[in-house]
Amino acid sequence: MTVKRVRFIQELLRFVGLEGRVHLEWISSAEAGKFVQVVTEFTETIRRLGPNPIQRTVRPFKASGPRRLGTSSAPSEAETDAESSEEPAAASHL
Amino acid sequence: MIQQIKSWLEDATVDIFIGYRDVDGHAVPHGYTADRLEELGNWTVGTHRYPLETFALHLARIHPEATIGLLGRDCNQRALNVLSVWNQLHADRIRVLSLSCCPSALKTRADCSYLVPRKSGSFKHQVGVDAEMEAAELEALPSGERWARWAYEFQKCIKCYGCRDICPVCFCAECSLESDELVGTGKLPPEVPIFHLVRATHMAGRCVDCGLCEEACPADIPLRLLYRKVNAIVEDLFGYQTGSDTAQPPLSVLGDRVELEPLPMEKTG
Ligand code: SF4
Ligand code: SF4
Ligand code: SF4
Repeated sequence: MTVKRVRFIQELLRFVGLEGRVHLEWISSAEAGKFVQVVTEFTETIRRLGPNPIQRTVRPFKASGPRRLGTSSAPSEAETDAESSEEPAAASHL
Repeated sequence: MIQQIKSWLEDATVDIFIGYRDVDGHAVPHGYTADRLEELGNWTVGTHRYPLETFALHLARIHPEATIGLLGRDCNQRALNVLSVWNQLHADRIRVLSLSCCPSALKTRADCSYLVPRKSGSFKHQVGVDAEMEAAELEALPSGERWARWAYEFQKCIKCYGCRDICPVCFCAECSLESDELVGTGKLPPEVPIFHLVRATHMAGRCVDCGLCEEACPADIPLRLLYRKVNAIVEDLFGYQTGSDTAQPPLSVLGDRVELEPLPMEKTG
């Protein structure tokens, strides 16, 4: 059952283009070697896939309507703006 | 049809019949009862669709003993089946009068709002997911592009909960989409892609592909395509056909039931 549920999530994530980031493996508490191997391999897989694409694609919502007078962008907002502009230009596109 | 409903109401086969009523040219869901038979004069049937089974569900929760009749399209029938599989409605308290809604050479019109093809603009074609797309077409794209397209769609969500509210099989008393721990409420757009993937997961083994959510969505997000895929996965993995299977769907149970005797505290400590 668990195998199929995890397969379900893997398939769903693949459909929206986020595959390869969920892994299931049975490891007994006596199999330290296997544990190390599986974790190392999966870490490598994740590293190859690169950083979380969700953070790169999804931009925080900003109200685009008329700004209230006197609220020249809150400091926290300015901070996040500065952070995102430091990232490579490619990141702000799809 | 009107004669049938009249006789059902008169001989108390049903206590109430849910159909549509013409109000100034608009079709509005309406419950017809035996003491106001004259209202059947305003009976109407057309392309408009509402999840009439949801009305039946709410009525059944208030009056569990009532027998309820309703007008049923194919999608209504599938939803009724799902509701009874999930023990939300007693099938023996529901009477359905079938409405043949699908197009056929034998009739002059098809009574369904979904038959008008939806058109998307060129921008959506370029960066988004078109509702008319097939799952396979989308899967042929590289995964990065697939994600970018879904992300574009999900980010348009204004979290109006229209998709959930119109859905005939979203019957939960407490909805995960309003839970702060799961989806982070109070933000717009709702947490991408968690909000939509949570709902997609819940639709596994449940969504009857009626398309009402997609019709209701003001942001034009191709929800039906997503839930269709979810149910294709469920069919592949579990051999479960949503809407026609009479067993509980595979993801609704937490594995086999475990019967353990609770031990007294002092012995376990
Ligand atoms: S198509 Fe949408 S509204 Fe209809 S059952 Fe599926 S999720 Fe619910
Ligand atoms: S979205 Fe999920 S939790 Fe909310 S009503 Fe639908 S099935 Fe229930
Ligand atoms: S109907 Fe559309 S915009 Fe509204 S909550 Fe559902 S997906 Fe979001």
